Amino acid sequence: MGTPQVDRRFFLTRVGVLGALAAAGTAVPGVARAVTTGPADPLVGVVSKLLAELARDTLNGLAVFVVPGPDGYSRTQGTPRSEPGAMEAKTPDFLIESLDNYVPMPDTIAAAVGRALANGLADVPIVVPNGLPLVPNALLADLDDVIKLLLRNDAALPLSAVIALLLNTQAVRVDPTSAAGPHLSPFSRLSFAKKAEVFELLEQADPQLVGSIDRELPEPLKGTTSGILQFIAGALLEFSAFGTFCEWSTFDAERLTVSRRPVGWDLAKYDPGSMDGWDEFKGYYQGRQKVSAR
Amino acid sequence: MRDVIIIGAGGGGAVAAKELAAQGLDVLVIEGGPRHAKPREQWSRLENDANNPLTGYLRVGQEDRSKPAAYRELPQNSFLWQVSGVGGTTQHYFGNSPRAYPGVFAGYDGPDAALYDVEHLFPYSYAEMVPYYEWVETTLPVQTAAVGTKESVYLRGCETLGLPVQKTKTTLEASYRPQENAILQPGGTAGRTNDANLLKFPQATGCTFCGHCFQGCASPAGAPRNLAAKRSTDNSYMPMALTAETWASGGKAVELVTDATVTKIRTEDVRGELTATGVTWLDNPTGMVHTEDAKVVVMSGGAVENPRLWFNSDLPNPNDWVGRGFTDHYLDWTFGLFDENVGSSKGPASAARTDYPGYGMNMNVGLMPGIEAFTMTFSDSGIRGQYTNGRGLTGPWDGTTGRLLGPELKDVLAHGLDNILNVVSIVDDDVSPINRVTLSALPADENGPIPKVRFDNRHRTARSRRNREFLAREAAKLLKGAGAKKVYRMDWPALPLHVHSTMRMGDSAKDSVVDHSGETRAVKRLFVADNSALPNSVGGPNPTLTMQAMVTRISEHIVTRYFDGEAWVAKGAPVLSTDPRISRRLTELGL
Repeated sequence: MGTPQVDRRFFLTRVGVLGALAAAGTAVPGVARAVTTGPADPLVGVVSKLLAELARDTLNGLAVFVVPGPDGYSRTQGTPRSEPGAMEAKTPDFLIESLDNYVPMPDTIAAAVGRALANGLADVPIVVPNGLPLVPNALLADLDDVIKLLLRNDAALPLSAVIALLLNTQAVRVDPTSAAGPHLSPFSRLSFAKKAEVFELLEQADPQLVGSIDRELPEPLKGTTSGILQFIAGALLEFSAFGTFCEWSTFDAERLTVSRRPVGWDLAKYDPGSMDGWDEFKGYYQGRQKVSAR
Repeated sequence: MRDVIIIGAGGGGAVAAKELAAQGLDVLVIEGGPRHAKPREQWSRLENDANNPLTGYLRVGQEDRSKPAAYRELPQNSFLWQVSGVGGTTQHYFGNSPRAYPGVFAGYDGPDAALYDVEHLFPYSYAEMVPYYEWVETTLPVQTAAVGTKESVYLRGCETLGLPVQKTKTTLEASYRPQENAILQPGGTAGRTNDANLLKFPQATGCTFCGHCFQGCASPAGAPRNLAAKRSTDNSYMPMALTAETWASGGKAVELVTDATVTKIRTEDVRGELTATGVTWLDNPTGMVHTEDAKVVVMSGGAVENPRLWFNSDLPNPNDWVGRGFTDHYLDWTFGLFDENVGSSKGPASAARTDYPGYGMNMNVGLMPGIEAFTMTFSDSGIRGQYTNGRGLTGPWDGTTGRLLGPELKDVLAHGLDNILNVVSIVDDDVSPINRVTLSALPADENGPIPKVRFDNRHRTARSRRNREFLAREAAKLLKGAGAKKVYRMDWPALPLHVHSTMRMGDSAKDSVVDHSGETRAVKRLFVADNSALPNSVGGPNPTLTMQAMVTRISEHIVTRYFDGEAWVAKGAPVLSTDPRISRRLTELGL
């Protein structure tokens, strides 16, 4: 174990916060103070906003992992494309809206993931890369306190933020240099192959991750983590694909139609026609319109 | 007190409702989701608006879509595709209505008898089932599918497999054919024009080849509800149940309560026997609790909800088979890229099939691009080219199984949706006690503890695994025979959307929940009438028709056992669900 300051630095690096500070050039409240760690604490608001930005950035990295395009995230992962992709289809917005407003996952699970991150999973030592800001110890302590407070508090963080912190923790694990660099989040700094390694860890129930989360679950749920992680990993990939290729980004809910052609329809060369039917009836196979009653 | 309360207005509950209403019983139907009364005004037929499991109009959950969908614990890589509302999953089904293979019934003595799930057969013979099949096939009605381009290509592939064409209702051997579908054949301008102005009823009748079976069917525009092309029970059986007094002598229309969730089946000890006496339900929007008594209670909530309700009602489970034996057809997905247009986005979602008694079946599927992309990213074999989860299967397809992601997903879909032909393998999978529904330890919702659905894909039986590998190879051969330039196989994780046998019917009290009549062994006057009562996975064929025939038979048992009535199928002739008396009455009622 290191000193508390070193542990805090590991933690804040692994969840992506120090790298995000460096990349964002955010003016961190520079005054050390006794942390009150209540909702009124001004630092809570600052950190919540930072985590929301970190979450969005992470989901940008996820969306282009599934459907890359001409954007900077796709370039960073090494698979740039000339035609539009998930960023142009607003897939990160689709994911955030779905995760934060509609996924009916009980707080029990998200909170257990949060506590696992706060209680040690993200403290595992790594080689902290160059380029991270030298934050004074007092501020380091404040950030550490506030983020762990949010993570330990059931339902304090939106699900998108919890998912992002989970992906970032695993990103720094598969590639410690992802803790600093372009973009806000470690996951978005990974190559395509390294992003795949993150999902391999999730799909194959990484014992370190599973053990950390399992310890935070109440007794009747212990042992369920590996299955739930497998489900989450799959759903993140499948929902990113579905969100990119469906009509969500241009849907007009009043008129029950699209306001313009969605990106995914162009990518898949899909033509809905009039929606009411096609001149497509070719007849009956071998001319048989009815089979025998037998 | 009601004669009968039916819990759920889906593919099975609506059939029981119609049959019992026709006999003049006083029937209350309670449905957890909405009734989409004006689908032409409510349904965009676009796939996120329709099929998003969190927010779509065809999701599982209450009517108010601003509220979260119902949560189910899935402790594995998998996807459970339920739909609530009148019509249940038939709202998004493809209308495929083949009969089960004769080999899954008691008394079958064909040369391939040993190939089936012989430990879990129907407790009666295929011959006994045939009149009920015919009754439902006439009522819906079931017709030979009209074919479009994608069927022409699929059937061209079938012609290279060395199999005969099936020209009978009963599947007698490995063979191929156009589907027998519960979809009205195209008439007038339907299927013959792209112009929406010319596709209005009655100028157009039946299937207009719009390509949106999965988003719910209300075509052609202007058709009475009971003349919509696809015969989902919101279009067929439920309209009959709601108008029974007009087309059945002595019939009585059912009362339908929607957006209301049954939370408890109430029981009493009657002369030493535990007996169902009624139900308790919640009105979803208000949370108001209601109770009502009935002489008979019918569970038609589906293969996940029925076990949940059983457990939440604290009903006895002496042999521990409630929720066990879940079969889901162990689905897999193979697709081919073509240089030619194969018309995947047009026409009924599936209109051609290949049957392999003893193994299962393959059939073509056309989808919209979002769900097509979902199918290509859904795999138990990891991400293609990156990791395999210990699988990465090889065979007569190109490369290994696995999720298509990133550049590869884009390149494949850039081929064009209409240059991709999909084949779904629907496996004759074994009843296995380890695949099951239990209650989750996660927090309850307003209706009580939530269900947990466990599928262990890595420990399917040897026969199930053999069948799936066989079908995947046949699918790849078919696609290459049809001219595919490249073939992909996905190796899907569990995708329970054909859900059966969690309250299974059987002869033996050791491993069944209901007897041959559909009545539960543990509680008198309580019946199960939907897919959950199927004894097995019906050999692989799409289950709806077989379930509906079984529910018709169960309905007769309810009437003869508890209401002093006589059976009607053997001596009667069914009224078609397209009957004009039904149309007229629906109009009068504003339905």
